[in-house]
Amino acid sequence: MKKINILLGALSTLLFVTACSDEFIDVPSRNENSEEFFNSQEDYEDALIGAYDLLHATYLNVMLGEIASDNTLAGGESATDVPGIQQVDDMIHGTTNQQLRDIWGWMFAGVNRANYILEFQDKTSFSGKDNIIGQAKFLRAYYYFELVKWFGDVPLAVDERLQFGDQFIVDRTPKAQVYAQIEADLIAAAAALPATQSVVGQATRGAAQSLLGKVYLYQDKFEDAATVLENAVNGPYSLVADYASIFEHAGENGPGSVFEVQYTDVEGAGFDCLQCSEGNVAVGFNGIRQYNGPVFDSGFSFNVPTQEVVDAFENGDIRKDVAILDIEAWNTANGSSSGEGYEHTGYFNRKYIARKGDLNTGDQNLTNPNNYRAIRYADVLLMAAEANNRKPSANDAQALIYLNQVRQRAGLAALNVTGAALTEAIYQERRVELVGEGHHFFDLVRTGRAAQEIDGFVAGKHEVFLFRKSKSILLVGVGHKTQGTNLII
Amino acid sequence: MKTNVKRIFTVALLLVSNLILAQQDIKGTVVEKDTGEPLPGVTIVISGTDKGASTDFDGNFSIAANEGDQLVISYLGFETQEITVGDETTINIELVEGQSQLDEVVIVGYGTQAKKEVTGAVAVIGAESIEKLNPVRIEQALQGQVAGVNITASSGAPGAGSNIRIRGVSTNGDNRPLILVDGNVIEDLSVINPKDIENINVLKDASAGIYGVRAANGVILVTTKGGRKNTPLNISFDSYVGVQNTTKRLGVLNATEYAYIINESQVAAGNNAPFADANLGSGTNWQNQVFQEALISDQNISATGGTEKSSYGFGLGYLYQDGIVGGEKSNFNRITARGNYTLDILDNLQLKSTAIYTRSNQDRLAENALGSVLFNALNMNPTLPVVDSNGAYSLAEGLGAEVINPVAQIANSYDQALVNKISATLGLEYRFLNGFSAQSRFQYNHADVDTEIFKPVVNYGSGKVFNISRNELIENSDNFQDYTWDSFLTYEKSISDHNIKVLVGQSVFKTFGTFESFTGFGLPSNVYGESSLADATEIVDNQEANKENGANTFDVRLLSYFSRLQYNYKGKYLLSAVVRRDGSTRFGPNNRFGIFPSGSLGWVVSEEDFFSDNNFVNFLKFRASHGIIGNDRIPDYRFVSTLAGEATYVVNEERVLGKAEGALANPDIKWESQISSNIGLDANLFNNAVNLSVDYFVKRTEDLLLSAQVSGILGSTAPGSSAPTINAGDVENRGLEVLIGYQGNITDDLSINTSFNFATLENEVLFVASENGFEQGGGFGVGLEPPARMEAGHPIGYFYGYETNGVFQNQTEVNNGPTTNIDTAPGDLRFVDQDGNGVIDLDDRVNLGDPIPDVTMGFNLGFNYKNFDFSSATFASIGNEIVRNYERNQPFVNRRAAVLDRWVGPNSTTTDHRLTAGANPNALFSDYFVEDGSYVRIQNIQAGYTFPAERTENLGIKKLRIYGSVNNVYTFTKYSGFDPSASNGAPIGGGIDLGFYPVPRTIMAGLNLTF
Repeated sequence: MKKINILLGALSTLLFVTACSDEFIDVPSRNENSEEFFNSQEDYEDALIGAYDLLHATYLNVMLGEIASDNTLAGGESATDVPGIQQVDDMIHGTTNQQLRDIWGWMFAGVNRANYILEFQDKTSFSGKDNIIGQAKFLRAYYYFELVKWFGDVPLAVDERLQFGDQFIVDRTPKAQVYAQIEADLIAAAAALPATQSVVGQATRGAAQSLLGKVYLYQDKFEDAATVLENAVNGPYSLVADYASIFEHAGENGPGSVFEVQYTDVEGAGFDCLQCSEGNVAVGFNGIRQYNGPVFDSGFSFNVPTQEVVDAFENGDIRKDVAILDIEAWNTANGSSSGEGYEHTGYFNRKYIARKGDLNTGDQNLTNPNNYRAIRYADVLLMAAEANNRKPSANDAQALIYLNQVRQRAGLAALNVTGAALTEAIYQERRVELVGEGHHFFDLVRTGRAAQEIDGFVAGKHEVFLFRKSKSILLVGVGHKTQGTNLII
Repeated sequence: MKTNVKRIFTVALLLVSNLILAQQDIKGTVVEKDTGEPLPGVTIVISGTDKGASTDFDGNFSIAANEGDQLVISYLGFETQEITVGDETTINIELVEGQSQLDEVVIVGYGTQAKKEVTGAVAVIGAESIEKLNPVRIEQALQGQVAGVNITASSGAPGAGSNIRIRGVSTNGDNRPLILVDGNVIEDLSVINPKDIENINVLKDASAGIYGVRAANGVILVTTKGGRKNTPLNISFDSYVGVQNTTKRLGVLNATEYAYIINESQVAAGNNAPFADANLGSGTNWQNQVFQEALISDQNISATGGTEKSSYGFGLGYLYQDGIVGGEKSNFNRITARGNYTLDILDNLQLKSTAIYTRSNQDRLAENALGSVLFNALNMNPTLPVVDSNGAYSLAEGLGAEVINPVAQIANSYDQALVNKISATLGLEYRFLNGFSAQSRFQYNHADVDTEIFKPVVNYGSGKVFNISRNELIENSDNFQDYTWDSFLTYEKSISDHNIKVLVGQSVFKTFGTFESFTGFGLPSNVYGESSLADATEIVDNQEANKENGANTFDVRLLSYFSRLQYNYKGKYLLSAVVRRDGSTRFGPNNRFGIFPSGSLGWVVSEEDFFSDNNFVNFLKFRASHGIIGNDRIPDYRFVSTLAGEATYVVNEERVLGKAEGALANPDIKWESQISSNIGLDANLFNNAVNLSVDYFVKRTEDLLLSAQVSGILGSTAPGSSAPTINAGDVENRGLEVLIGYQGNITDDLSINTSFNFATLENEVLFVASENGFEQGGGFGVGLEPPARMEAGHPIGYFYGYETNGVFQNQTEVNNGPTTNIDTAPGDLRFVDQDGNGVIDLDDRVNLGDPIPDVTMGFNLGFNYKNFDFSSATFASIGNEIVRNYERNQPFVNRRAAVLDRWVGPNSTTTDHRLTAGANPNALFSDYFVEDGSYVRIQNIQAGYTFPAERTENLGIKKLRIYGSVNNVYTFTKYSGFDPSASNGAPIGGGIDLGFYPVPRTIMAGLNLTF
């Protein structure tokens, strides 16, 4: 009996103890390991979707870039509505500005996702890979160009992701070096990409050339810019005759669109993750406050055009009523009503405010499907005009041809000026052609006009956002040395 | 306890004389003293031996004993008696109901221990305390009962959860304690019927170390009710019905006041006065429109009994509770069925099994959020009617994008969650040789949670974020399962005065489940229930991206080995030591296993010779514990980079899903460890009438698991990604806990039991290795920066904003500043320029308080007079701050009545700012919005009457008691919001009030009936 007792007792416990070894807790994740990916063409295509995804987040670059300029005011509900946006408008943005940090983080997320593909670009071969790699390089250049525009010197990573731990060792790379990489990427992309993609929304050769031209312009490399923009001008693009049609749903991905960020209204979104929205968040933010009437939907009345930019349009410019919505006139004409937000000017950014007719998937203010026309043919023409006008061996005649194409469509008379007057005319044309599209602040900065045009802008300080001092670098997270690296595992 | 040691001593002596004395058969009957009723199933053991007997149905027993033997007669719920055998052959025993605290048995994890020998900080709550409070959820029975356990309701809505914090907030991650019901892990306590609970044991200190990697937030062990052997069938019926009401309505402006105030604020901003005639009467009181009386009822029937070899307990319960907001739209109802069965298969082989089935259904309304029902009731324009002249709900025009007609909102809310859950346990205990016991216990949970949300097409007004133009039906069905398999061996041995108990064991835990979620758009009918998902014009599979790899499932496991040594010498010097090794799937190969040691010592001073018998101090024990315990509550797979991110783009005008990296990986992540130290004493004074427990603890959490903000260059803010979980902070909690109780009979008819406990808590963050040296969280206003922070030198989750210093009285004061960059005028709040640089900027923000109470107290008073009984429970929370965040900063929303005392001109007031629809800095987060959330709440008062047994016996009724009870009787507080007791429980961002659904006051009548 005793023996049986011992046996039973030992068995009942040991049976299970021995049956279960440490391997019991070795359970692999259901999601694929990121380091064991890229085994098929589909894997590359899937990762490319991930790299494109962050383009959605550039809504903030567009909106905040416009607000930073003298084109629009922050607006919103009140003086304390999104302090980060108000601060940028007033040029008093400090070290903890959430929106600037968002741009910083989201653009680096885009860089990392493009680099993820490029890190593994040699792993698996298949036909058509060049196109994918070309798009990845275009996207890396796109995101890095945004970073350089906003922040100047930024940490540079090429064909490798910045991984956890790198933030302790990576430092800022001089802007010139980042530009060199952007140029190299765009040159490679232009070579790899077809003139047109079978899939609407993917980057093309013309998009790479146009962006490269812009990158050259930002560095005052006018000869290079003129050359590459010439190629882009000769691409499969044309000016859409009806300027008003460009910004409506039917005008998306039209012949004047060189590169367009593709948005949709089919998926819901929330304020806790604005970058997760597949809609154009800026459109809801720009929208008319408490609007009740036809054609448009309501929004949050941010990014409201100033009287000054309204007055910048010449008489007879058909673009004025497309770009600027005079809400009181509109309400009177349409029997609609609307509210007034902070810094109400009576004007709204009509290109990018909410329209009726979409699915209004919740939150409807965050899921507007309006594509962002990132690079328009008119922009390319005006860049080409500027490059020709400002290059050492200036070709003002060519510049005028391009400029007047744009003016002609706007219903304006052709100009015939040269030299500095032409330069001024091109600047003026860029402003009114592209108002509301997020370019003006950076145009002012790169041409040295920001301090004279923007209230509160201090030359030598506000050309880039965030801060050049080392303390500031800490604040954007490029080094934790003072935190004691040993303590972060 | 002295008698214990005496007993052992006596027994040791007697054992020697045992040989020379003749054995005789002793017979007798055990009866209940008060009623004279025989007690079946009473255990009679000869002290110091394993010889024993138990009484039969008529209370009779027979045992062979020697003269001088000490018989120990014990019965659950009765005071244990000891009788020394003389020369008689018949011994009749009367047992007294009630239990001396020291005879209580405490569950210490994988076993029990006599309370007098416990060396850790352990609290026990018995069924009787729970019954007095009539809680709907178990947590409510803990509030105010255990020093150092703080419960905050996350909402007063029926079925809503509570936050349990044992000894403070030690991490910015998950602070929930480990909760085991009959050894079964239960995460959602709403499925447990409090009426089914026998007792709750709370392990507060390192004695929780037996649970290793999951124990850092404390452990709550719940035991369900069972039957007793050799007892006849006992059926009882408990029932109550009650009415619930809100405890508070906030003062807001009526229509006339509103019109005057709006006119004033518009004129101040340079606009025209919108109300030509402001005398609009009182208008609509929106709070009256949303609050209502609501029904609650609870019915329970249970049966217990036992044969010679088995015991059983069954219970059936039904709870129905409507909400005080929305009535049936925030209803909770629950059916619970429970069984408990034990069987002695052999003399030394016992089977124990339990099973609980729960079916609960909860209807939910939007709450504690911008645009939630109560938020809207406070902000809604009082000049608007509920329905307009066409009979349609009036539209909340001009009140911003979120404020909508709350009555329309309730009418259009369809959100319900149905839970079907089975929890079952099966255990075998085998005793062998002398002192060995082998146990194997298997615990299993299976829950199906089905959620259905319908959003009809609705228009609440221009630009409202809640407008729906294409109706939606969302159906989620989630399945959660887990099992725990514990196997362990104990050995118990006494060698002369050395008493040793050793435990070794293994535990395996696995939790797994599946998520399904579909949204149907464009249903043919806009009436809830008329269309199903299949009718939708478009169906979206919300788990589509996850399903490809099976990532809509989860599988988390733990593998643990544990060992415990308990030793005492003469019951006087006590020692306990625990080691546990845990392996968790949450950690990578580098740190998969952790070892958690803890130990405790005790000294029962009252057993010492120098502590001679006195009636002043009957029992005194000092104890100390120290140990390292862990916390593994982090998301899964944070040690490896997986493609769990979101990759969605639009090509060819179609949404396309791709792949992207998820949360940043940290391969070196490991459990956070808590170094927990506790010293304490337990004492019984004045003939055991007074009991006292004092504890002082220091808990230092190191390697805090933090999803820390990291540099943006790492891409952690990409969709579907997140910051890495890193071990990057230290937090310390210190506190003193005192519990004092009195229990005594004043006269034969009057007995009193009362207890008072208080706990202090000091919380300090010692270190955060975050990007800026702080983590932030919570939300304030619209578009403003997060107001709460975790930062070294401050309590976790403290509020960070501007300190105010009155109101600018005139333009000169404004000119002399300092001001913010926002236009400021006389009547605006004056912020303190902390750094003296002449402007108010972000650097001027300071600590404005924190949501952690400095002191919590509980006071319970009960007395019985003849057949009447009375009990009350009071809880106090002192020193916690709350952020008032239910005011929408919009020109035309309604305001708190407090604005009637606003600044209207020089020297009119120095506290409340002017009103203007124009630019002003008053909405910036400042101490103007931070209020003292201290409160004292009478939680429960109950009075009952038990009919004399002799009257009811003829009817076959053993006991009949009727009672009346009020829960949440009254709250003393200065806080101006609905309910200072509510919090969302977030470590950073808790204590921010967006219009909490208040805990209702419930007036109820009930009866307890036993056949």
